[in-house]
Amino acid sequence: MSTETGRESRRSGALVGVMRWMENLSDTWYAYLLLIPVFVLLGIVALYPLLRTFELSLFALSADFSSTNFVGVGNYVGLFTGEKNRYLPGGTTFLPGGFSTGALLNSALVVTIIFAVVSVFFETLIGLGQALILDQDFYGRRWIRAAIIIPWAVPIVIQGMIFFLMFNSNVGFLTPPLADLGLLAPTNTLNDTASATFIVIVADIWKTSAFMALLILAGLQSIDRGLYDVAKVAGATKWQQFKLITFPLILPTIGIAVLFRSVQAMRVYGIIDTVSSCTVVPSLSCMVVATFTTREGTSAAIAFVTAAIIGIVVMGLIVWQGEDAI
Amino acid sequence: MSDNGTSGERSSTGVSRRRFVRAAGAAGVVSGLAGCADFVGGGDGGDGGGGGGDGGSTGDGSGGETTTVQFGFDPVAVQNNGDAIKQALHDNGLSDDIEIQFVPRDQDTGAARSNYNRLLSAGETNPDMFLMDNGWTNIFIQRGQLQNLSETLPEELLSDVSDNYFSAFTDTARNPGTGDLFGVPVFPDFPTMQYRKDLVEEAGYSPEENNWATEPMTWEEWSNIAADTYDNADVDFGFTTQWDIYEGTSCCTFNEVMSSWGGAYFGGRDNLFGPIGERPITVNNPEVINSLNMMRKFVHDEDFGGQFEGYGGGFTPTEILGWKEEDARAPFANGNAVFHRNWPYSLALTGRNPEETEDPALGENLGAMPIPYAVPESEAAQPGTGGTTAALGGWHMTVNPNSEQMDAVTQVIRAAMQPDFQLTLLSVQGWLPPRPELFNSSEAQNVPVVGRYMDTLQVAGNNTMPRPVTAVWSDQSSKIAQQANRAVGQEASSADAMATLEDSLEATEQT
Repeated sequence: MSTETGRESRRSGALVGVMRWMENLSDTWYAYLLLIPVFVLLGIVALYPLLRTFELSLFALSADFSSTNFVGVGNYVGLFTGEKNRYLPGGTTFLPGGFSTGALLNSALVVTIIFAVVSVFFETLIGLGQALILDQDFYGRRWIRAAIIIPWAVPIVIQGMIFFLMFNSNVGFLTPPLADLGLLAPTNTLNDTASATFIVIVADIWKTSAFMALLILAGLQSIDRGLYDVAKVAGATKWQQFKLITFPLILPTIGIAVLFRSVQAMRVYGIIDTVSSCTVVPSLSCMVVATFTTREGTSAAIAFVTAAIIGIVVMGLIVWQGEDAI
Repeated sequence: MSDNGTSGERSSTGVSRRRFVRAAGAAGVVSGLAGCADFVGGGDGGDGGGGGGDGGSTGDGSGGETTTVQFGFDPVAVQNNGDAIKQALHDNGLSDDIEIQFVPRDQDTGAARSNYNRLLSAGETNPDMFLMDNGWTNIFIQRGQLQNLSETLPEELLSDVSDNYFSAFTDTARNPGTGDLFGVPVFPDFPTMQYRKDLVEEAGYSPEENNWATEPMTWEEWSNIAADTYDNADVDFGFTTQWDIYEGTSCCTFNEVMSSWGGAYFGGRDNLFGPIGERPITVNNPEVINSLNMMRKFVHDEDFGGQFEGYGGGFTPTEILGWKEEDARAPFANGNAVFHRNWPYSLALTGRNPEETEDPALGENLGAMPIPYAVPESEAAQPGTGGTTAALGGWHMTVNPNSEQMDAVTQVIRAAMQPDFQLTLLSVQGWLPPRPELFNSSEAQNVPVVGRYMDTLQVAGNNTMPRPVTAVWSDQSSKIAQQANRAVGQEASSADAMATLEDSLEATEQT
């Protein structure tokens, strides 16, 4: 044994040294060592593009459109002072121009936040309801489960066409009844900002509630059923069972689900582009796409600000959830 | 053996660190290689279309070998008539040593523009030539991304373009500052007002006797005919057109209506292509507001205090606010509308004999007339507007400045400028010849379907209004379309919408 080891060390001393070093690492450092490939990959596919976007956002097209010049944070300043609004499609502004409904709905930032807050709120609520139903034991449960997941499996373009056709001026059958209720504009519905935003939010809720339901269901099924037996013996009502057992135990799961959904909702683009247009429902990602071919610097600045806003929202959620998050 | 010893000591983990790292590393390398192999394989497949260029450029000028010229082209034309178009080029003097390779572009003009922008920004040498929409050729010219043809084409071709082509259309391929030519027109697109001849005749009108095909009528007269025919016919719509929030409204339908009232975006024809920031913004003027109010009369039958009392109204559906070309053409081709505004392709498709096609068509019942007008040119508020106005569509051929085979490219352009070639395009593809004189040729008149409407198209071709394409047009286009849509949709008064538009256009004009 000792001769073998001696031969090995003569053959490749460095390798053996590395092996020894590796084997003597503490468990924590060994874990970090194994994570290095992941960090390298993330660096290439996530961090590098982010830094490159930031670099692009420091340049702007010259006045004669022939070259790009370094402008520092000029693009960001222009974005927040409203000087860049002229590059955004239609009457869109970045920050709201006032506090009237029209001015708020023209702001890409406000529309994105409205979309994210309203859609995630209802998706969580509906998803929770669906998950509670799916958690029950009843005949045909697996079919109901499949049925609830179907919207989640629909590709976003198909989903967009479904909602486009439902509210389209030629064949849309849902516009007249909803317009009678005062929810939508009776004509030119998909080109009306308030109506189109409403439709896009409903479309997103329809599709993504299933995703929330699945995540929350996973949380529900990990609850120890024995707890409910104890609750029954103690004479707890259904509401008390929910309040004292179910809800506290699935709260961390809901937190994670809300986190994922918020990140996705803040970068909404596809459903807007297929149902209406970026001119009518301006989201931040829409503005990135709309300015990309003509104003790369502005586009990069909006993209970076969007990433920053998402980062802030995610940090907020993580802090709110404390130790349970991630 | 030492491995075994180690794993024995660390029996709690089951697998030694050493073995785990080795296995994970091997798996990583294998999957990495597999990924690379897949990537390389995929890349090869995707590259197939561009393969011919390299071999070709070496043969340049050596006589024996063939030279390949890559031409970014319309995908539908390539699919249906690619070989016929290539053959036509060779029939018109293109040397057999030069092989044309069509590179189909994206069907969406906006996506094609982005793609060509990337290719040219990256300094790619292929394709050698592009087919470019006149709506954005100018932006490439101003960015200096195209070959200046005034420097490379022989004098006889340049003067042929200057003397014998539709001048307003050719202007969209010139540098507005210097007048240099950067693209040679391939085909222009002129819209017409298309109608159901059988329905208007049933309603008591005689298009033939009154020369509807060549004599533009006023909007007032037209709207009464439309309203009257609509009332007497069993159709859902009196007039279908495009008025969605998109390029087609700002470039074309709104531009036409506005110009026919004597209005303009930037104070008339002279300022179409600049100078940005120094030209007046004239959308908040009475003539533009009147044109929008007239559209509101057509759609909502609003009277505006008697201003439009003499007009017919209420025969146009609110659906136009969400329609593009094909949405508007569908009901018309199905026989469900009296009037319809569209490009020549619609004449070619809708005018087909319904017994010979499975698609809806009207055959000989399809009529065409120039777009109506409100004020004659002599009374127009903005210089160069007024009278019947056809928005200008169409495509140019442009040259990649990095191309390594300019001589072959020049030969292709020369062949593509032959009148016979242009007539072939008209017959196989329905693309109009860019030379006004060809509209009069008996051969053009004899082309099936489109030939019947040649005289109307000629009137349209002589009264075109290009969109004001500058480097900031793409910023302006969506703002214009949005406000025009709001006004006709009664979401704002025409005056308010135009005041808003004036402000935002002013912002885009700052450099």
